[in-house]
Amino acid sequence: MSRPLRSVLSWLVLSPLMAVTLLPFAVMIATALKPHDEVLSYPPTWLPRRLAWENFRDMWDTVGFGQAAFNSVLIAVAATALALAIAVPAAYAMSRLPMKGRGAYRQFLLVTQMLSPILLVLGLFRMAAAIPFGDATMADTRLGVIIVYAAYHLAFAVWMLSSYFATIPADLEEAAWIDGASRGRAVLSVFLPLALPAIAVTGIVTFVASWNEFTVALTLLRDPSRLTLPLKVVNLVAGRYSVEWNQVMAATLLATLPVAVVFSLLQRYLVTGLTLGAVK
Amino acid sequence: MLILPSLLLALGVIFYPFYEIVRLAVSDVSRFGLVRGFSGWDNFNRVAADPVFLDALVRTLVWTATVVGGTILLALPVALVLREDFWGRGVARTILMLPWSIALSMAAVVWLWAFNADYGMINATLQHWGLIDKPLHWMARPETAFPVDVGIGIIVSIPFTVTILLGGLSSIPGEIYEAARIDGARPWQSFWLMTLPMLRPFMNIAIVLNVIHVFNSFPIIWVMTQGGPDNRTHILVTYLYELSFYLGRPGPAAVVSLVVLAIVFSATAVYMWLREREA
Amino acid sequence: MRQGWKWLAGACAALAFVAPQAARPAQAETVRMTVSFYSAATGPYFEKMAADFHAANPGIDVKIEVVNWPSLLQKLQTDIGGGTNADVSIIGTRWLLDFVKDGIAEPLDGLMAPGFKERFIGPFLKPGQIGGKIYGLPIAASARAMYYNKAMLTKAGFPNGPKTWDDVVAVAEKVKADGGNGFGLMAKGTEVDVYFYYALWTHGGDVLDANQKAAFNSPAGVKALSLYKSMLDRGLTEPGPTNYTREDLQNQFKQGRLAMVMTAPFLINQIAKEAPTLDYGIVPVPTGTTQATYAVTDSVVLFANSKVKPAAMKWLDFLFTAAPRITFTKGEGFLPTTNDEAKDPAFTENERLKVFVNLLPNARFAPTVTGWEDTAKAVTDAVQSVYLGTATPEAALNAAAAKANQSLGK
Repeated sequence: MSRPLRSVLSWLVLSPLMAVTLLPFAVMIATALKPHDEVLSYPPTWLPRRLAWENFRDMWDTVGFGQAAFNSVLIAVAATALALAIAVPAAYAMSRLPMKGRGAYRQFLLVTQMLSPILLVLGLFRMAAAIPFGDATMADTRLGVIIVYAAYHLAFAVWMLSSYFATIPADLEEAAWIDGASRGRAVLSVFLPLALPAIAVTGIVTFVASWNEFTVALTLLRDPSRLTLPLKVVNLVAGRYSVEWNQVMAATLLATLPVAVVFSLLQRYLVTGLTLGAVK
Repeated sequence: MLILPSLLLALGVIFYPFYEIVRLAVSDVSRFGLVRGFSGWDNFNRVAADPVFLDALVRTLVWTATVVGGTILLALPVALVLREDFWGRGVARTILMLPWSIALSMAAVVWLWAFNADYGMINATLQHWGLIDKPLHWMARPETAFPVDVGIGIIVSIPFTVTILLGGLSSIPGEIYEAARIDGARPWQSFWLMTLPMLRPFMNIAIVLNVIHVFNSFPIIWVMTQGGPDNRTHILVTYLYELSFYLGRPGPAAVVSLVVLAIVFSATAVYMWLREREA
Repeated sequence: MRQGWKWLAGACAALAFVAPQAARPAQAETVRMTVSFYSAATGPYFEKMAADFHAANPGIDVKIEVVNWPSLLQKLQTDIGGGTNADVSIIGTRWLLDFVKDGIAEPLDGLMAPGFKERFIGPFLKPGQIGGKIYGLPIAASARAMYYNKAMLTKAGFPNGPKTWDDVVAVAEKVKADGGNGFGLMAKGTEVDVYFYYALWTHGGDVLDANQKAAFNSPAGVKALSLYKSMLDRGLTEPGPTNYTREDLQNQFKQGRLAMVMTAPFLINQIAKEAPTLDYGIVPVPTGTTQATYAVTDSVVLFANSKVKPAAMKWLDFLFTAAPRITFTKGEGFLPTTNDEAKDPAFTENERLKVFVNLLPNARFAPTVTGWEDTAKAVTDAVQSVYLGTATPEAALNAAAAKANQSLGK
């Protein structure tokens, strides 16, 4: 099959799914730019009669967008870092070191992975409220959320990393030992560079999961100045006497766009990270 | 040891809350979470006699099966196409990965707005194309609302699944296809006999992770339908949440938690057993 | 404006009174208050009041946390469970009984300054009293009446609005013939049960009987629900009511696409802001055999575990003086709960609001009984199943009654 034909066919096959994928973005953009009085006009139209950029400014103020975005970034980055710091050594041990109870540990991981925080949310809050922190408790702190996120993403991270680590031939490290490198050195200079793509991929997945998380944040966070973006957006819709859909969509768009851009840029590495896996 | 911190963290953040849940399940708990006393099997009996719970249990299985099944069925051909070398592949990949970048709760908010009967763009577009002559009330009836929930569940699960499958596909060395072609294998033969078997571990991981995720998935149904109308879009986790935080029944809610946990444990056990048998 | 000056004078007097105490090197006390989100004005209002209060009482800081209604119960639940609750909170009055049973709420009688109690309008204070003690102060009150679109109703021959359910049906038929939506029927979100109770009460029924057991499945209840269902079947309501929350119907009404809807006084404020040209009227809930409406209050409670009770009471005392009350009630579109604010021209000279006030003698409050929330849920499910056509009114209500009775009074 020639390349042009293949290209046309590929796009044809993918286009229905793409349309569905792009629809929410189109809806977001269309509504975010509509003036207030046009949002609930009937019948609705795709194109706004005028571009209401003021929605973004209004939304920024009513939502407290800047602070919420900061909270989201802080929590997601810290949770990812914490999860990786704990998961990388564990995954290394899993894939390299012979140890007793590896099967049990794997099983344990799978089980913890299966326990969605929502099942334990009440218990989680009670625990957070029981741990003293400063002059209050861990409840309603960003640190509490970070720790919970890290804990719940740990299983996935270890699992994912250890599968990749297993595909990195041990001979390379062993060769380094023969060359006189210490075990630690071999890990640092030979193993880690090879593992980096996998670590990056795992990191991205963890970051996105933390960024997206809703239930734990909803339960643990209280103070409006500590809420994350998903909470702020859903709060705009749930239980209000009137919903300002144009502001809601403006907030969603603004919350999504940077992530979407970063994601598009990293996407190439995301897939290559998965494809690299082993030494060629 | 290297795995010790991970053990400690996971144990702490999982087992203490678990203990609390068990305690709530066997206690008479007030609306505001104060434990009034031991109540034995009361909460369990209450839940067992609750038709909404049984309904939600069945629906959870349907939800998990349809969302995961649909995701795999869609993601596999997409991954196969994306593996091909064609013009604009990078763009296509990027577009298909986009849903990953929206928080699930926010995506649900956007979809809810898109499906709004009066002002939503889906009805507007369908009407514009002449496919429907008056607005459809998508979320008004469980017969349409639940499939909408499932559809969105599938769309948001695709990026992750495609990524895993793409990774799997690229781990298959191209030479074997070359060899197969020389041996006269047709494309579908090489798909059935080589691609699928070699993709199997990745399919397994994709299925297991998706099952876990979808089974526990809360934001889509919660934001879109809140389990309604008439309780007929509830899955166990949304019902559990409603029981606990809307109806003020932490005790029975804890019981539902335990039931879900039991299902999760047994599913894991079955999966382990299958893997053992295979190995 | 005049009120403002009066209040300023009061604040100065208070300042003069507090000043000597403030001069003492006393540690500043912090009073935390959980506030439910009523509108975009709620947060700013309480922040402003807190600042004003702090200016008058430098020794007391008030910290406000605004929470959405759907998250409020959850927040209270987790906060109380974890012992991290605020000092005072707004709650749905229907939760008060559980608060008192668990010893979470502090009885206020002993802490209230002389004359504080007398400020309230009697019927609104009553739901906050349990076992003869005051636990909750009514901070927000509202009642329900029917809004009608004047243009549509004039065309249908009822320029002064419908009086009875027969009128409603007659109007809706005319509106339907013109291609519009006659009667707004809500069956999604909160208060689906209450929307049914309007018809139940006005047909002479009641939600619970004297023994606090379900009574909504009485013949009156079946009649009421059958009325709604028949209107739906005949196309006299908007299509797909299970798709419409109260807010959705209000929006349709603002846009002039719905002839009649029953809701709270705050829609007046919304219309003034968003649809100032809409010509509409307000009449009592239509009658079948009797006149009735639903009245509801939200209460402020003081938590028993608060360490700053006197300071918290001082703050509440301030909130319930005339000027702060008037600003709040006017801003949110509620009904006055204290006698002083009720005298304000904003309420006495507002013809539309008067309809609500005049309904109060016939108003029903949600009874203070455990299991009310479960009853609401059971009735909501029943109503939805009837509209979806999966159950008859009688069967659905009987099933709901059985379910409600499992929880009522327990």
